[in-house]
Amino acid sequence: MRVASHSHRLDGSAGGCGTVNGAQTAWDLLHEEAMFPRITTSCEDLDNILGGGINCKEVTEIGGVPGIGKTQLGIQLAINVQIPVDYGGLGGKAIYIDTEGSFMVERALQIAEACIEDMSECGGLLRKDFQAFQLKMHPNNILENIFYFRVCSYTEQIALINYLDKFISEHKDVKIVIVDSVTFHFRQDFDDLALRTRLLSGMALKLMKLAKDFSLVVVLLNQVTTKYIDGSFQLTLALGDSWSHSCTNRVILYWNGNERYAYIDKSPSLRSASAPYSVTSKGIRNSASNCKRIKSGVVHLVISRVGHG
Amino acid sequence: MAPLKSLEQEYPILDSNFQSFCASHDIFSVEDLLLHDLYVLAAFAEQESSSERLKQGIAQVLSIIDGQHQPWLNGIELLEDAQRNKHVLSTGCEGIDLLLHGGLRVGQLTELVGPSSSGKTQVCLLAASNVAKKHIGSVVYLDTGNSFSPQRVTQFICQHSDPAIDQAKHRTLQKVMNNISCKSVFDIFTMFDVLHQLEFNLRSQMQGGDCKVQLLIVDSVSSMVTPILGGSGSQGHALMISAGYLLKKLAHEHNIAVLVTNHTVGGDGGISKPALGESWKSIPHVRLLLSCDHGGSICNVSILKHPSMVESFASLFTMCAIDLSLSLSLSVRPFYKLFLLHMVFLFLFTLFNFFSSGCW
Repeated sequence: MRVASHSHRLDGSAGGCGTVNGAQTAWDLLHEEAMFPRITTSCEDLDNILGGGINCKEVTEIGGVPGIGKTQLGIQLAINVQIPVDYGGLGGKAIYIDTEGSFMVERALQIAEACIEDMSECGGLLRKDFQAFQLKMHPNNILENIFYFRVCSYTEQIALINYLDKFISEHKDVKIVIVDSVTFHFRQDFDDLALRTRLLSGMALKLMKLAKDFSLVVVLLNQVTTKYIDGSFQLTLALGDSWSHSCTNRVILYWNGNERYAYIDKSPSLRSASAPYSVTSKGIRNSASNCKRIKSGVVHLVISRVGHG
Repeated sequence: MAPLKSLEQEYPILDSNFQSFCASHDIFSVEDLLLHDLYVLAAFAEQESSSERLKQGIAQVLSIIDGQHQPWLNGIELLEDAQRNKHVLSTGCEGIDLLLHGGLRVGQLTELVGPSSSGKTQVCLLAASNVAKKHIGSVVYLDTGNSFSPQRVTQFICQHSDPAIDQAKHRTLQKVMNNISCKSVFDIFTMFDVLHQLEFNLRSQMQGGDCKVQLLIVDSVSSMVTPILGGSGSQGHALMISAGYLLKKLAHEHNIAVLVTNHTVGGDGGISKPALGESWKSIPHVRLLLSCDHGGSICNVSILKHPSMVESFASLFTMCAIDLSLSLSLSVRPFYKLFLLHMVFLFLFTLFNFFSSGCW
């Protein structure tokens, strides 16, 4: 019998004061953060409470009652990620994972056209080369840059998330992953709740790793359920307590009278605040009652970002 | 366990003669030697020709084994160690410091338990910035949820200075932020790797001054353990317990305060309880429960477990944009109120007795 001698090879080359190999200092991280712009939601108020938009390298969970506009927000983000860098966006592609079948191509086309219109509006304002821009950005191009996956069971969902690592290393310009919705296949027919918790937390960690390694934005859309808290039934996000710890940020969409509002429920650096928004034919925009300004969200974004550059 | 052959280089007394003697008794590795009855082995060694050398060989192996564990300490040495090395690190939040009689104790594993968005990450970030700022030492932050926010850390560090940044302040900020190193870990095996590496680095480097690692934060340990806990095998359980022991070992041997976060799950009757179960309960030295009233900014901290304090002391602090400041007074346990009442009555009673015996 031969015994394999195990030599524990540890590199003695640590960077500095007993720190961990591969760790970054907070100072470096602070400057790195400035390099990655946020994705605008096209609604100025929403962008304001989010500190500019949805952040890279973080998993953001957006939840709300049916009909509040989660899928609309998802489609809007899939399109806004493609705004060119010149116009203050990320200029990247999007991955849209659809579990419910609620993605409508016609609606995406409509929103894409509205987005191009807004951009050309401010292209004129900034004296950009209008002709060249028009040739480049056609609604079909925008649709081409959205990779759409349809999953029909929880095993497919987990398999896809495992596969995304390879997919994104091949398509390096993917900048956002949207899962609509992450809850659907885990709600019905799941007998073993312990298994569900394990699968969900494993999936959450993989998404976190994806977000960090490839500097992506990950957006998870979630549904609501009723829960018996403190003597009354309240609406909370689905999938239980353990899932609520698996995201970096959480935004809850709710109705206030006739208006749609978004509320920041969890964030490491943002204050809790609400902002109204509305769903129009052009997509997500500022709430009608607040919108006295002519400029839309995209225009405001461009002027604020490009104006400083 | 090492085979006896590999020890020959360092300890020439364990030569081939010794090894063949051991082999004749089915002893090939150190583990086999430990399992074997040593008196019987010594008796067999007596009968061999080179009995002295063989017995010396056995003694040598036993001393190698003895060298593997920490030296025995008596009470006085422990007290000296506690007084000299195991000081207290302020968390930066007066409420929590008041509750813990100073802050996080070096050498202990402190756990923050709380439901979602109750302020656990905020307390971690505040503790990290406070330790780095007061130049107590450097901080290692292991993050599983991408929630390390350098902006928030900057806010905490700059809270008491002027908003105007000049050159000197910029340099100070850089120096302080360079003391915090952050690494993202997404599964428990990576965390083991990182912790072993950290242990190796700490053991082999000469420490001094600002550079010494004083605080290790793992946010959160429950996200790493939950995917592997439960199910058919008990491997997840074993990994969780060994992770806990490794953290405590790092804390004690290298004089680090360790802070971990845990989440809550629903328990019996709808009352939430800390995740990770009964076996994890005994691992942290100090357990604090955080809760935040929904929508408000007042947070409640209470002690679930502490080696030297009674549980259910509670303290309240406010979470606001700038820092976590003490908002209301320490809420004292009702027992003390009763005690005070008792003393007042006793005083009145003696006074009454005095008057009644004096006057009549």
